[in-house]
Amino acid sequence: MASGRGGIPGPSRPCRLPLLFLPALLPLLVLLAFSFSPSSAVAAAASPGAMHNNNWAVLVCTSRFWFNYRHMANTLSLYRTVKRLGIPDERIILMLADDMACNPRNNYPAQVFNNENHQLNLYGDNVEVDYRGYEVTVENFLRVLTGRHESAVPRSKRLLSDEGSHILLYMTGHGGDEFLKFQDNEELQSHDLADAVKQMKEKHRFKELLIMVDTCQAATLFSQLHSPGVLAIGSSMKGENSYSHHLDSDIGVSVVDRFTFYTLAFFEKLNMYSNASLNSLFNSYNPSMLLSTAYYRMDLYERPLNEVPVTNFFGSVMKIIHTDSGYSGFLAAYNDGILLSTEDNILNHAMLQNESSQRRSNIEETEEAQLRSHGLTEVLLEQLDGKNADTIAMYGLGTMGILLAISTWLSM
Amino acid sequence: MAPPLSPPALRRLLLLVLSLLITSVAAENVEEFTEELLLRPLPDRKALAHFHFRSSAPPSAAPSRHHHHFPKAIAQLVHQFHIKELELSFTQGRWNYEQWGGYDPMSTNYAKPPGVELWATFDLPLGEIDATWKNLTHTLSGLFCASINFLESSTAFSSPRWGFKLNEGNLRYGALPREAVCTENLTPWLKLLPCRDKAGIASLLYRPSVYKGYYHSQKLKLASSKSFGIILDQTLTVVLQPDSVRGKQLHSADGQLQPSWSMKDLFNRKLSGKCLVSKSSRVFFEIEKNIVDKVDKSGTEASWTNEIFVLSSAPDRVLKEINNMDGHSSSICEYDVSNYNEDAPLDVGVTWKLPLIWSCTPAPYHANRFLMGSGNERGSISLSFISTNMHKQLFDVSNDCSIKAVVFQVVPWYVKGFLHIDEYPPDANQGFDIPSALVTFPEFNSSRSYPETDSLFVSPLLRTFKEDGVVKSYTEVLLVPLTTPDFSMPYNVITFTCTVLALYFGSLLNALRRRTGEEERELKKAGNPTMLICLPVYDAHISCVI
Repeated sequence: MASGRGGIPGPSRPCRLPLLFLPALLPLLVLLAFSFSPSSAVAAAASPGAMHNNNWAVLVCTSRFWFNYRHMANTLSLYRTVKRLGIPDERIILMLADDMACNPRNNYPAQVFNNENHQLNLYGDNVEVDYRGYEVTVENFLRVLTGRHESAVPRSKRLLSDEGSHILLYMTGHGGDEFLKFQDNEELQSHDLADAVKQMKEKHRFKELLIMVDTCQAATLFSQLHSPGVLAIGSSMKGENSYSHHLDSDIGVSVVDRFTFYTLAFFEKLNMYSNASLNSLFNSYNPSMLLSTAYYRMDLYERPLNEVPVTNFFGSVMKIIHTDSGYSGFLAAYNDGILLSTEDNILNHAMLQNESSQRRSNIEETEEAQLRSHGLTEVLLEQLDGKNADTIAMYGLGTMGILLAISTWLSM
Repeated sequence: MAPPLSPPALRRLLLLVLSLLITSVAAENVEEFTEELLLRPLPDRKALAHFHFRSSAPPSAAPSRHHHHFPKAIAQLVHQFHIKELELSFTQGRWNYEQWGGYDPMSTNYAKPPGVELWATFDLPLGEIDATWKNLTHTLSGLFCASINFLESSTAFSSPRWGFKLNEGNLRYGALPREAVCTENLTPWLKLLPCRDKAGIASLLYRPSVYKGYYHSQKLKLASSKSFGIILDQTLTVVLQPDSVRGKQLHSADGQLQPSWSMKDLFNRKLSGKCLVSKSSRVFFEIEKNIVDKVDKSGTEASWTNEIFVLSSAPDRVLKEINNMDGHSSSICEYDVSNYNEDAPLDVGVTWKLPLIWSCTPAPYHANRFLMGSGNERGSISLSFISTNMHKQLFDVSNDCSIKAVVFQVVPWYVKGFLHIDEYPPDANQGFDIPSALVTFPEFNSSRSYPETDSLFVSPLLRTFKEDGVVKSYTEVLLVPLTTPDFSMPYNVITFTCTVLALYFGSLLNALRRRTGEEERELKKAGNPTMLICLPVYDAHISCVI
């Protein structure tokens, strides 16, 4: 006894352990499958009350050629604003139809300015363009919006939004009555855009969408929209042109459009934590300075504009809810984590298992109506028809706990 | 009871054995990263800066493992597409073979054609390679923010068996001459480095000066095998014009001095330390063979300071090229960046004291390509070779004037045919680009070897100089103005056809259905009309009812 416990038991012991594991495996599988299904059901539920939890931006410049420098500067100004207020490159799809920064006609290589004072280099050191040059077509634009890509298209070129996303869609270029011109040889029509937005809504690809258009007769482009949750603002109404702001005599072309210039003037005063509302943004446009009427439609949007902060679309600020109890959303991962730890004793196991099983059954009761069917769970449910899956899971957990205790006692 | 060895000796022996084991194991399974910069003055008053970053990952049995400095994106790319070798280059500008040389390892390996060039060899059965190539081009386009996915169409890539490199049919080559190269291509390339552009040699990359250069080319080279794992070489070659005030001095007697420049003049900043995870970080300053030749002729020995030029600080080491042929060889002055920090940054540069004119060794022939004639039928593409008589200097054989050259060029089929109207690019009137042709001279070899003084570590840049490289040169890209159709014709056709149909059907329906004079006849039949109620009826003529 002084030298520790007695000798190691005979060779029959190692053979018994694998046999003991087998009956525990099936309940474990059932437990895992069952715990996955409610959590995935919660995640994939098509509930209208889905919380806003991510922001995306799709910024499109549709004009090619050097004299359309200002459209590129418009898009890059929005890109810079949106990055500064918090949206990362992974959530931004930037489409530029031509290359201005390294264009041979650019006297300032790798630099794009939106003001003749050249204070701000919009191109910076850290720009990522997803679609450029000949890839900016109506087909690719609609594929990005609706999410229907070929299988080889990489993730960085896809709009991977879900039903909790707020999307900012900014388009600039040359446009007219119910169309937007892409690259001088094709056009996007207003009902095409409305159909794409309708598809997006059906596929739950956004919670709220803000469309901002800076072209001539911009308001006609979103006149055909009829999906709920969409807010749209255009730089001019039907019959009006949108004008450029000023000409840079060094670069030789106009460097920014009026609507975008005043939008930026509004945003440069903000930082990530400001709570300026969309209402103040929309009211900051002065028709006499824009030389056109900035028209917005909010009939499809149910929240009042003075309650919506601009960072809901232009930035990325999460609403943080402080709670004292543990987060019950990712219950499956929490359970697995507890099962895999080997240092706890049985009492702790049993207590935690009781709590988690109670929570699980609560969630099951509330989410029962929203359970989606998965092949695996259907098969298992059929097999367990009549029996209470909960008790089987409890038995499985108990067996596992006992096995773990035995193995730790043996290894001491 | 007492053990045979005394306890302290036993412990020391154990420690020694353990440390040997650990170092041997560690040396095999460790990722390494080295960074180097080579600076060289060019004869036409410009300066060449060549950045070389090498990252290597050891071989692993399982496809998944932890990555420390080696970029996970590249390891996943290699495993998913079974890549054996890959080279992807983004270039803007043309390498001036006449002025900057065509016979040294720099121009052989790092002079690339304008636009994007991608070639890859795969470790797959030959039937699956085309599909894998397509997926690879899409993945690379997402990774590097370029339209590399246009290389998926069969008009854009080719599978040469011997024209480009000798292979068994698993090589695919594609080039996009008109692809723009700008900051958005450099950003993800820099993100593959462990220190990004925040520390080390990559922190010198001031974007406006890189893109203001006469030639800039960023290249990614991958080689993977089961024996040595994956080796990733990222190089950026820039030819810049230093615009320092000091460069405009005139020497009293002999004409204009070459511009004196330093890293601060080229990149607007100095090096303030190395990347901490790099195994070594060095700056090389190369003094070419012809400069050494001329300095020697003037009497003094060509070290880092002499009568003609002086470097900004003393190098840590000077390496002379091992050359068996003639007496003169180039030399490289090496500076170790780990000796410098923010308080004492490194700024390598040269100050010229006397004017000097030299030339770089050219390739045996200058190859140029241009268009002759006009139009689809009478136009032609011509290649011209102008001898530089260099083979006489090297081989000393004056009678033999035959040299073997291999020309590889890809000309798209539609130069001689017609495209469908929606296959034209949006700015079709600009013309179509034909990618550069590659001319190789297999009998000439451009390797240079430098002494390896440090047995534990060999500089990757100098090792690539030592590799056997056949002399190659790329010709210019051609812009071919092809006949374009009238793009407004579809609209015109639709308008005309609809007008004609409207006129035809309109008149037909009128002729069949209109009753002229019916109202008056009805009225006369009825006698005295008191009231006429005229209503439009469904077939669009008015009938009046009394």
